[in-house]
Amino acid sequence: MEISKNDRNILERLTRPYRHLTMRQREGLVGFLFLLPWIVGFLLLKAIPILVALGFSFTNFKMLEPEKTRFIGLENYLTFLRDTGAGSSLFGSIAYFVQAVPIEMLVALGLAVVFSSPRLRGKTVLRTLFFMPSIIPAIAIFFIVTGLATPGSGWIDRLILGPLHLPPMANLYSLFPVLLAVWTIGPGFLIMLGAMQSVPPEVYEAARVDGAGPINRFFSITIPMISPAIFFSLVINMISSFGGVALLDRGLAYSQSLSPMEGYINYQMFSLTNLGYASALAWVMFVVVMLITLAIFYSAKYWVHFPEEEDRVEF
Amino acid sequence: MSNSRLAAVRRWFNVSTLTFRMWNFTGTALLNLFIFLAIVVYLSPLTYMVTTSLKTASQLSDSSAPIYPAAAVTFQYQGADYPVVDVPVDGRMKQWALVNTFRKYSEFVDPADPGRGLIRWDGYWGSLKKVYRPSVTFGNFAYLWENQGYPEMLKNSLVVVGLAELGVLCSSILVAYGFSRFRIPGGKFLFFLCIATIMIPDSITLVPQFVIYTRVLDWNGSLLPIIVPHFFGSAIYIFLLRQNFKTIPRDMDEAAMLDGAGPLRTLISIILPQSVPVVVTVALLQFFNMWNEMRMSTLYLSTAMDLRTMAFSAQAFVTIGFTAEMLQASAIILMIVPIVVLFVAQRFFMQDMVVTGIEK
Repeated sequence: MEISKNDRNILERLTRPYRHLTMRQREGLVGFLFLLPWIVGFLLLKAIPILVALGFSFTNFKMLEPEKTRFIGLENYLTFLRDTGAGSSLFGSIAYFVQAVPIEMLVALGLAVVFSSPRLRGKTVLRTLFFMPSIIPAIAIFFIVTGLATPGSGWIDRLILGPLHLPPMANLYSLFPVLLAVWTIGPGFLIMLGAMQSVPPEVYEAARVDGAGPINRFFSITIPMISPAIFFSLVINMISSFGGVALLDRGLAYSQSLSPMEGYINYQMFSLTNLGYASALAWVMFVVVMLITLAIFYSAKYWVHFPEEEDRVEF
Repeated sequence: MSNSRLAAVRRWFNVSTLTFRMWNFTGTALLNLFIFLAIVVYLSPLTYMVTTSLKTASQLSDSSAPIYPAAAVTFQYQGADYPVVDVPVDGRMKQWALVNTFRKYSEFVDPADPGRGLIRWDGYWGSLKKVYRPSVTFGNFAYLWENQGYPEMLKNSLVVVGLAELGVLCSSILVAYGFSRFRIPGGKFLFFLCIATIMIPDSITLVPQFVIYTRVLDWNGSLLPIIVPHFFGSAIYIFLLRQNFKTIPRDMDEAAMLDGAGPLRTLISIILPQSVPVVVTVALLQFFNMWNEMRMSTLYLSTAMDLRTMAFSAQAFVTIGFTAEMLQASAIILMIVPIVVLFVAQRFFMQDMVVTGIEK
């Protein structure tokens, strides 16, 4: 990123009041001004709230009686260890991640493979249709699953199990995470498809000449070549399954069945107004998500083939 | 498939041209059939929502009603409407109108031959099934629109989306420009930090934000907590925009600077015109996110009836459960249709997602 002479002149004029600074410092200053909205937002909306939450988590802060707040040390965290509701919610959130993300990744990858075949017709329309459910909010999916899976009157019982004389299934609600996962493939699918289409055909041609079959080519060329895209969609899917800010945020409803740990934190916060305990729970969730994130980023060293060194720093 | 590739594959399988052509055609046909079936299955759950929204309350309360939207057939007899039911008579089903019901027997009228008068049938009428014919009602949408304040909600949704869009685009573009074009001391670390914030789950900042918004700023029951945070940029959009800005050659900037353009001028006249697809992508993603926004509105709008958005109402209808099922479905559809139309109507989005994928 070398800066030209003209650049220098402009910067010089622009930052004349700061004449005592070097060119490099002036460039940094102007750049820093552009970053300002994000830096202020980062401090006000992320960094400070996270630290404040840590502070709250050591107190017995209750929304309705703030004057009784006092420091109680690690008691909230000890309560968490004994609280079976919190434990099962956290487990539920992790279980959803473990269930949903592999489904999303595999379906998206498989679909991307099919879409990169020259034999498929009407790709534009099909791509739009496969992406479409990804913009549907979770509440709609919840409504649909309820309608499909209610034992007795649900569509699955009436249309499939009933005519086949099978007994109604009791646990059809477990369909919700599956449908939610399969209907979230959109971003990952497009990212992987794009990566697949950008693999130079000569690479495949060379492998063909060397006698590599389609399966061999897929695992030895396609997968390594698109591994950054796989990694990117893995991160996106992980974030959306834990309720961060993802590309297409579903806006999960706050109920215990949809996003268990978030639901439980909200229950502690609004129904019981235990802000201190809710903060402790949020911190536990935060640490768990960060550990999983670190594990995924650490593992990337072993299976993601980044094209340039610079990219690894960036993502 | 290109001819050279076809030839290569043919040599591979060592078959005659005709046999190969047949196999090739069969393969193409099977693949397309498979994907066609896959998309039908993939979208089929949506039919539940659509059909439910087109049903009447009386159909939903009748467990023997068909699953498609339908209306019970009635027959007018001597100035009153009577339901037509399937009556088993001598091993055959007759479609008669049920006029008088008693415990041991019932009286019917044959719609084909009303002059015959009342027909007595022995048996309990409760086991008879009503006759339905397909019939679609749009009354649920009309009801919501007129009685649940939907015009107001639509306005609120548009205000939220519009302001959040404005805020997030302005701030994210500025920040992405800063990250992509200036050597800032610690810039790499700041960018890493920015990317890292994408991973932070919302729940960690929820409690302090709630305390600040409700106790310090007194923003409870206003749209401010939903809109204002977007004026500080969004990390994932900053990432997408910055990646795209980096691909624009710096020669262009320099030419502009030569003509005396400052950094802001360069951003507006050089960078942005070349980044229309990615900016449109970000705008669309933000539109979808804000249109579907439910987390923040659940927290801050539950006391402000007049500020409710369409997404908030749809969610409240479904989760609170006091609303009839067909109205829940209609509320969801009213909310989804605009974004689906917007999504299908655009082309940029898809293309650019692909470009982003290549680049990453």
